[in-house]
Amino acid sequence: MRLAFVGKGGAGKSAISGTFARTLARQGDKVLAIDSDPLPGLAYSLGLAIDHTPPIPDDAVIERKEGEEGPRWRLNPDVDPFDAVERWSVEAPDGVRFLQFGKIKGDPRDLWRSQMAFRFVINKLPAGRWNVVGDLPGGTRQAFTGWGTWANTVLIVVEPTAKSLLSGRRLARMADLDPENPKRVMVVASKVREDGDVEMIAKGTGLEVIASVPWDEDLAEAERRQLAPIDFAPDCPAVRAVESLVERLSEETVST
Amino acid sequence: MKLAVVGKGGSGKTTTSSVIARTLARSGKAVVALDCDSNPNLGISLGVGDAETERLVSMRESLDEGDEEHAPTWETLLSRYGSDAPDGVRLAVVSRIENPDPG
Repeated sequence: MRLAFVGKGGAGKSAISGTFARTLARQGDKVLAIDSDPLPGLAYSLGLAIDHTPPIPDDAVIERKEGEEGPRWRLNPDVDPFDAVERWSVEAPDGVRFLQFGKIKGDPRDLWRSQMAFRFVINKLPAGRWNVVGDLPGGTRQAFTGWGTWANTVLIVVEPTAKSLLSGRRLARMADLDPENPKRVMVVASKVREDGDVEMIAKGTGLEVIASVPWDEDLAEAERRQLAPIDFAPDCPAVRAVESLVERLSEETVST
Repeated sequence: MKLAVVGKGGSGKTTTSSVIARTLARSGKAVVALDCDSNPNLGISLGVGDAETERLVSMRESLDEGDEEHAPTWETLLSRYGSDAPDGVRLAVVSRIENPDPG
């Protein structure tokens, strides 16, 4: 399973993907959770009290030498993507491995090479060894412009709001722009409060709604307290909905 | 006044900026609202609707694709590629959606 969560900012991507990764790992599957947002994102929702992890070092990418062909930047041939994941990811609860690209502390330009390295490592990670669950930054900027190519399934997290629907439609359109990396695109309805919300989201995006995560005060409280929803309120309806989603997608997972 | 509203995704930037823009316009100020988000939604919060918001985005994209000429001046840019929102706010979309830069 190579699954990317995308969607408008604030739609619930981190809470849902963190819960998804933990649930999948509890089934005994080998899970790599990745976060390519330069702002704080997935760590708290996974149950890690940290925000900063050591970035992949700059020398993991090398620049094309004068006279050479090919793209300007590439992964250092000495770096094996599988080893890089083992080395630079950290352990999260339930045995999830967590890899993020550097979080901005000072000048974002300082992190540029490390972020390129992250992208190369994930894109070159051999298929079948990890279930990869990715939490992408909000909006449309990163989703399918080289940062989501590793995914074969894209779940667009959509709230029942006009802005979220519009963002969902744009993301669905962009997912189709990359014919070399075909993706299954589906929607996860988020913060569902009323009858008709799911139908509105299905109609507004034109996509299959594979799960409906209800509005849940416990989820909001977990975010306030910087705790993983699955630790703070393991039985709340939103966590239960994500567990059903994992169940539904589980036949594709790689068992350890 | 030149005011930029920034923050984490979903924290309410678009809603906040639209209310500021319309409130300023109602007090008689000339207001230009610039949507600099790579996922431009400000039109919806200002009240021009999603069809018009998407039209502005596609105008912005056709500029990059060379289908449209760049406006020679700021005023032309606003009149040619902007849209009238309620209370006299003039809306323009600055960024385009497909942008390969990280972060």
